[in-house]
Amino acid sequence: MSVETGQASRGSANEVARVVETLARDFGERAKTGDAVRTQHARGEGLPDPALPDVVVYPHDNDEVAGIVRLCHAARVPVIAFGVGTSLEGHVAALHGGVCVDLSEMNRVLEINADDLDCRVQAGVTREQLNAELKGTGLFFPIDPGANATLGGMASTRASGTNAVRYGTMRENVLGLTVVTADGRIVHTGGRARKSSAGYDLTRLFVGAEGTLGVITEIQLRLYGVPEAISAAVCQFPDLKAAVGAVIVAMQMGIPLARIELLDALQMEACIRYSKLDGYEAKPTLLFEFHGSEAGVKEQAEAMERIAADHAGSAFQWATQAEDRSRLWKARHNAYYAALALSPGRQAFSTDACVPISRLADCLLETRAELDREGAIATIVGHVGDGNFHVLLLFDPASKAERAKAEAIAQSVSLRAIGMGGTCTGEHGVGIHKLGALVAEHGEAVDLMRAIKRALDPLDIMNPGKTVPR
Amino acid sequence: MLDTAVHAELAAILPAASLLTAVEDVKPYECDGLTVYRALPAAVVLPETEAQVVAILKTCHAAKVPVVARGAGTSLSGGALPDPNGIVLSLARFKRILAVDALARTAVVQPGVRNLAISEAVAPLGLYYAPDPSSQIACSIGGNVAENAGGVHCLKYGLTVHNVLRVRGVLITGEVVEFGGDAPDSAGYDLLALSIGSEGLLAVITEVTVRLLPKPQVAQVALAAFDAVETAGAAVGAIIAAGIIPAGLEMMDQPATRAVEEFVHADYPLDAAAVLLVETDGTTDEVAAEMAEIRQVLTAAGATSIRVSRDEAQRLLFWSGRKAAFPAVGRISPDYYCMDGTIPRKALPRVLQAIAQWSVEYGLACANVFHAGDGNLHPLILFDANKPGEIERTIAFGDRILELCIEVGGTVTGEHGVGVEKLSPMCRQFGAAELTRFHAIKEAFDELRLLNPGKAVPTLHRCAELGRMHVHHGELRFPDLPRF
Repeated sequence: MSVETGQASRGSANEVARVVETLARDFGERAKTGDAVRTQHARGEGLPDPALPDVVVYPHDNDEVAGIVRLCHAARVPVIAFGVGTSLEGHVAALHGGVCVDLSEMNRVLEINADDLDCRVQAGVTREQLNAELKGTGLFFPIDPGANATLGGMASTRASGTNAVRYGTMRENVLGLTVVTADGRIVHTGGRARKSSAGYDLTRLFVGAEGTLGVITEIQLRLYGVPEAISAAVCQFPDLKAAVGAVIVAMQMGIPLARIELLDALQMEACIRYSKLDGYEAKPTLLFEFHGSEAGVKEQAEAMERIAADHAGSAFQWATQAEDRSRLWKARHNAYYAALALSPGRQAFSTDACVPISRLADCLLETRAELDREGAIATIVGHVGDGNFHVLLLFDPASKAERAKAEAIAQSVSLRAIGMGGTCTGEHGVGIHKLGALVAEHGEAVDLMRAIKRALDPLDIMNPGKTVPR
Repeated sequence: MLDTAVHAELAAILPAASLLTAVEDVKPYECDGLTVYRALPAAVVLPETEAQVVAILKTCHAAKVPVVARGAGTSLSGGALPDPNGIVLSLARFKRILAVDALARTAVVQPGVRNLAISEAVAPLGLYYAPDPSSQIACSIGGNVAENAGGVHCLKYGLTVHNVLRVRGVLITGEVVEFGGDAPDSAGYDLLALSIGSEGLLAVITEVTVRLLPKPQVAQVALAAFDAVETAGAAVGAIIAAGIIPAGLEMMDQPATRAVEEFVHADYPLDAAAVLLVETDGTTDEVAAEMAEIRQVLTAAGATSIRVSRDEAQRLLFWSGRKAAFPAVGRISPDYYCMDGTIPRKALPRVLQAIAQWSVEYGLACANVFHAGDGNLHPLILFDANKPGEIERTIAFGDRILELCIEVGGTVTGEHGVGVEKLSPMCRQFGAAELTRFHAIKEAFDELRLLNPGKAVPTLHRCAELGRMHVHHGELRFPDLPRF
């Protein structure tokens, strides 16, 4: 399979200029070419390497998106879909210029089917907005990657987050999609039926495709009943090995934890300082959340506490009040900023890996040892019930050597996870930073990914340069 | 007839006993569970190693010979129907469980392993494999992956796509590929999901890593009676809307319960217009709490009686009727035609009412036995093929049901797959834009269209009427096998 053949040439500067002109005519104020706006759309939240699009457009419906893509298709100009730019792997950088399609004005919840536990939203709706609109229905959308990302972005990167251990990732929670394909056609995949054997699974193909096969414009999502009872607890361990041991036993016993988060000693120290958490020590820590009936939650929590005690864990500190819980999870979600505060002036980026739960202890201990050996300022946090963890690496942006070292460590974490039967990304996606790791992970199957990319986007205009290496 | 050169190449790859070409030897492979379609293949190959599969596919690719992979042959949509110019590649000899990892809760199995054999093998570890199509005693895991099989418990525990971590397979070019991985997620395009439910059109599966679950401590089932089918349908919605996701939620109407009762004596209330089976599982406390809630919702929804299984024996008795429903209906009618549409649950009362009305209009009885919690309908239209005009009326009736499924936002096949049976309804469910994408994906994997040709995705210019599942007297293969 030749990789280079079939790569179409891109539209010339003139053609790009004509596209920008046409968009300005058709969209007026909603097509922006100012430097400030283009700079805002030049990168996500990962490593700071901006690449500016030529224009940013704010469509309002499927037909407008299809019109933009048709225009770009005819002129062979790149199309980059943009949610709120919280991606961590460089997904939104306009590596080859082109049109940034900002979906933030497609932000309507189109339908809520309370009886069927599903809803349909436009791609620019954020998860917090959706949950706000669900208030009063007794339902919620659980997937929580931390950032208040758009649901389109979450679908495109196959996001998961802290409670995937109970509710799955976007893969399990997207029922259907409306997608504008590379030639500007509108297709509908999946639907409201809970299961279907009709045709290939296009829904899951577009989920996680990072905008490289089409622009997701609408999403049918699964919803869940708000649990009758929720409680959260904190437990601290003498060392990382003991904490991970408790996680593995809990998963093996099938305790239906809603969240189980690990913070290593350095991260806990950072959180205590940054979020002013009282009564905790700078030790490896597990945060638990239990969902269910009153009886179920009590039962789960007791079982978990016994397992923790067997692994030299401290007594549970409870957070049964909603405010206490939200303070706790806020501290967890602010882990990134807390880590940054460990060394003012430095920047941070987060790498993402996921291993089979049976290898989690090996992978985390080896990774921590490497970080210490290399003298890196780095913390480990993880949605460990899934075997998914992140390393937050700090580096001095003025020092090329420091950044290179941090990137080398990130690469090494990816390869270690892959070597243990895992993956270089549990939830952040491939973007531009993990193209090499993708090949290490999938070998021959990457040829098939290239073939699919060519089949669905022969001109290579959909978010070019991402997800699948050329 | 197989080309002599191809035959010679296959004979060099396989021992004589593993290459069948005589009519009497290939005859057993002429159809699967959809017996109305039959075709004799040019040859049947029974490889035992992945290297043999690779060599066979390379040979067929070079000679442009179609290849139809076959598991246990229990498909209900003609997924394993042979191509008269091609070979059937049977995975029947790939029946080893290669590894079980109790800590990671996974098992690596060959595609010919029976679905139930996995659960039996890991039972001593307190684990099981969740998807449970009713034919689980016979159907193979490779076939389950190819069809994205579901089952009674998939409402809570998901379909095959939710319970498989990794698939290893061989492309038509002979290239060995792996999709997914041992971790819960995998980078890049979701080739794993693409391969699951692809009906043997993209790759021949040689190895599957399945996810295992800890067996729930206890399970209990409620048998609720209703005096109208629509009320029972509405009760299904009420249970889900109350935030309860039962382990199983099945419905049977009166024609079905009466047929079953005569056959297996499952102790069903025969005066009820419909019954629901609602199962809950988990720890003792959870089950007690959830069953109390279920009772409340069922009562409020108008159940005329509710009986909760008092022990494991009674639980199995209540389920025995559901599991035997299809063979039971087969006993009371010379022929039946089984549908497989899936709809949003909320539309259940409307669709059930329409089916009842059409049953009168077409003068054909219809028994409903189905996965109500998923909204997956299996109306069984009863008819007699020997009565003139009944087949035509049955097909017209069935078509209207599928059309209504699409109209209310559903799909023409919930779990049986498209195969050759549903090619025509696929044209109604999908437009040209979607079908073009399906074909593009097929081409990316198999440019010459040699793997299972003519199945699953209709060609654009040939969205033609192609036929139906039609079970006539003894023609249903394995007639006693529980189905659906």
